[in-house]
Amino acid sequence: MSGGGSQARERRQAYLLVMPAVLVLAVVALYPVLAALWLSLHRFILVFGERRFTGLANYVYLFGDARFWSALGNTAYFTAVAVTVELLLAVPLALLLNRAFPGRGLLRASVLVPWAIPTVVSARLWAWMFNPDYGLINRLLGGADINWLGAPGYALHAAILVDVWKTTPFVALLVLAGLQGIPEDLYKAARVDGASPWRQFRAITVPLLKPALLLAVLFRSLDAFRVFDAIYVLTEGGPANTTETLSIYAYKTLMRSGDFGYGSALSVMTFLCVVLLAVVWLKWLGREEGRR
Amino acid sequence: MGRLFVLAVVLGLVSTGCKRSSEEQGTAGRTRIVFKFQPLWGDPAPFRELLAGYSRANPDVELVTEALPNSSDLAHQFFLTSLQGKATDFDVLVADVVWVPEFARAGWVADLSEDFPPARLREEFLPGPVDSVVVEGRTYAVPWYVDVGVLYYRTDLVPRAPRTYEELRRFTRDAMAKAPGIQGYVWQGRQYEGLTCNVYEALWGHGGQSLGEDGRVLLETEAAREALAYLHGLIADGLSPPTVTGFGEEEARRVFQEGRAVFMRNWPYAWSEAQAEGSPIRGKVGIAPLPTKDGQPGWGTLGGWQLAVNAHVSPARRKAAARLIAHLTSPEANRVLALHYARNPPRLALYDDPGLRRAEPFIASLKDALVRARPRPVTPYYLLIADVLQSEFSAAVAGIRTPEASLTRAQKQVDHLTGETVEDAQ
Amino acid sequence: MKRPGLGTALAVVAFLTFFLGPFLWQVLTSLWPDGELTRPWPSHLTGANYQSVLFGRPFLWAVLNSLVVATLTTLFCLTVGASAAFALAKLEFRGRGLLLSAALGVSMFPPIATVSPLYLILNAVGLRDSLVGLALPYTTFALPLTLWVLTSFFRQLPDELYRAARVDGCTPFGAFRRVLLPLAAPGLATTAILVFIFAWNEFLYALTFLSTPEKRTVPVAISLFASEYKEPWGEIAAASVVATLPLVVLTVLFQRRIVSGLTAGAVKE
Repeated sequence: MSGGGSQARERRQAYLLVMPAVLVLAVVALYPVLAALWLSLHRFILVFGERRFTGLANYVYLFGDARFWSALGNTAYFTAVAVTVELLLAVPLALLLNRAFPGRGLLRASVLVPWAIPTVVSARLWAWMFNPDYGLINRLLGGADINWLGAPGYALHAAILVDVWKTTPFVALLVLAGLQGIPEDLYKAARVDGASPWRQFRAITVPLLKPALLLAVLFRSLDAFRVFDAIYVLTEGGPANTTETLSIYAYKTLMRSGDFGYGSALSVMTFLCVVLLAVVWLKWLGREEGRR
Repeated sequence: MGRLFVLAVVLGLVSTGCKRSSEEQGTAGRTRIVFKFQPLWGDPAPFRELLAGYSRANPDVELVTEALPNSSDLAHQFFLTSLQGKATDFDVLVADVVWVPEFARAGWVADLSEDFPPARLREEFLPGPVDSVVVEGRTYAVPWYVDVGVLYYRTDLVPRAPRTYEELRRFTRDAMAKAPGIQGYVWQGRQYEGLTCNVYEALWGHGGQSLGEDGRVLLETEAAREALAYLHGLIADGLSPPTVTGFGEEEARRVFQEGRAVFMRNWPYAWSEAQAEGSPIRGKVGIAPLPTKDGQPGWGTLGGWQLAVNAHVSPARRKAAARLIAHLTSPEANRVLALHYARNPPRLALYDDPGLRRAEPFIASLKDALVRARPRPVTPYYLLIADVLQSEFSAAVAGIRTPEASLTRAQKQVDHLTGETVEDAQ
Repeated sequence: MKRPGLGTALAVVAFLTFFLGPFLWQVLTSLWPDGELTRPWPSHLTGANYQSVLFGRPFLWAVLNSLVVATLTTLFCLTVGASAAFALAKLEFRGRGLLLSAALGVSMFPPIATVSPLYLILNAVGLRDSLVGLALPYTTFALPLTLWVLTSFFRQLPDELYRAARVDGCTPFGAFRRVLLPLAAPGLATTAILVFIFAWNEFLYALTFLSTPEKRTVPVAISLFASEYKEPWGEIAAASVVATLPLVVLTVLFQRRIVSGLTAGAVKE
């Protein structure tokens, strides 16, 4: 390495090289978030050009808005159940993919199929499977008459199933990458000591896999919390708003009703929830890292 | 890969370039106007001939038609985003009955009072549609065709059309006992605009009004509570199938048409399908006004479409557009839509037209129902509150909340959206 | 290779059925004659749905639109992102960690949080309802993805290469352009595939910002594939297969790359 002058030059060039990316991110991400915050402090009915500053009035209304709380509840339930089921399915799938057996390549390629399908398409595909009269699921249940997307108790779970189908592969791949990072020697030593496979799983796999699992949970829960596409296509939030998530409620307020003030307040709340979730998970992840 | 991308970009740019050049100006200095509407179904030839009539009479205008999304919600979203963006790529648009006050107040549709004075509209057209297109004494759209909610019944299963809700329940129960496995009364209970229409019909049937004296949208009323309790009661008592909470028009029609229901609330379009060759219920269907609490004929919700002119286009295009509207809403055009597409004419005179009465006696028979048809709350804020109404009505009908709780929540949100609470505070 | 036990075989079959079954059912539906959907089994298979989707509706436009938007997004993100990723991987400067975390943070933004201001901005500059205008908001998720995947690829290239280039008299930018960029070609290809797939699948922005039917992208076109009174299930299925097949082929062909790209940003960090 040459002297300090060259290093200063390197730093200058580094800033030049990252500048375009930073500018783009500022324009398409930072500015809109701040602007949404500003919009949320107004009564702003787009169609009539009605726009006046109302301070925190939208947020005051929001805290008393039962529909907001039920959307928050739906979103939290969707996220918790979907991510849990995905993990429960992904770990065995990853363990399977980590073993050598004929047809492994086929299995790995086919689990990627749901991942590659656009969410909208997968939702449409499942909507047809859920069709109460002619859908595959009711056919397989021997001509059952279950109104999967129209009955309040079922619809949210149907949406969760669609999400599980679509994203379990991604979780499994993350877990698989974690599995492949575990040194084979550890298992060899354990086998020499006469440990049962279950014991090996508990003592070696689970603890060493924990960071990968936590990471998967972080990514997936942040992603599931902003769920929009699948639910918009499956139910548009119905029946009786039992599948309405925060994103759906905010979208309807913004684009259907044209209420940009309150809609922005809902968007900002969605954003804050995601940030909060991320902070909590990252804290936990950091603690785990520190412990190792 | 890289070459593929380049190819794609080139293809994309070329194709968008092609589309651009054909927009705006028509060939050889003719005015080009675009008409946005939803497909009418059926044989396209008579409607094409109707449009050709306009082109023959206006050789200086090049007329282009473009299709809209079929669902009313999506069509509205299209107009919301494009008219808000001052789009000028279409001239004549169709508007649902509940949109006109909003579009007028937003300044998106042109004032047509000069060509279509309100007084003349009131003389020549049905009262309901005129109320929805005349805003503060000015005409902003002209009724194109109308629709109204009616009751269908099976003449082989019930003695006559029920007049009261009590009769409807009794007839349903008796018919279900007579024909086991039949589903009773089907209607539109899915969370969408059709549900709102069903609820308002029940609300009027219980003696309620949609607007208060001061123009406020009234929801916390005794009639509204009874209406929601009545609809939920139909499901709770097994007189309507539980799947009705997922039904739109077509789901209900399919069940009724297959002979699996005693009664159905629907629009008149279901009639021709029910009476078509090969229909299992052909000749066993009657149609009547909806029942009410006290037995007078019910008020159906007014539906249908109006024609309006995009306010952002140039005066020359506006003139050509107004002429197109006059052409498409003439008595002759009304007749074409009635005869070939079973769309009810908004013009009163057509209902006494002997030709139409002979060819389409069913359409002519709807006159009374149409005169009694009522609009959903007429307010520029309707589209803002529609979503609230749908979700709260849906919750009450599905039994997730009591009617009282739903209406309290709905009233609060509606007041917030229409600015009532803000005004009160000032 | 150990002989697979019965348990393994059963698990493989179960997973294959769950992940492939719905897609295969969709393929079957697309070939099912329209009037027979109510029957338990089709009497024969037909290509009629494909014909009406491809030639009876403006669906091919949607495919083309998606191709344009996804390509624009990919090219734009690679152009802006490659140099930044190089700097993040090989150069020392203040704010490096901050920038990477910021990128990760942005990729986690719920799109709904930015949709109202972006709508107003695009409207104001006249780019709403245009494919170019749509590619812009797409960078909110595509650029962070590019940065993460590419940075991890640049990190895998030995530092010695960069140092040797510098000793030979290259500026940092010259070293990037002449030495490291050509070597990162596989990384660029992986990133391109990922960004392309993400952009191809995006729905919320496309639904909000596009209003002209001829400009719809594939997900929007498929979501609006309905009519007031009747769901054309067979045609929807055919359109889904058309929209999905290229992605499935792409994914199966490049599965190793995609897997390494997807997990690179996440696990190796």
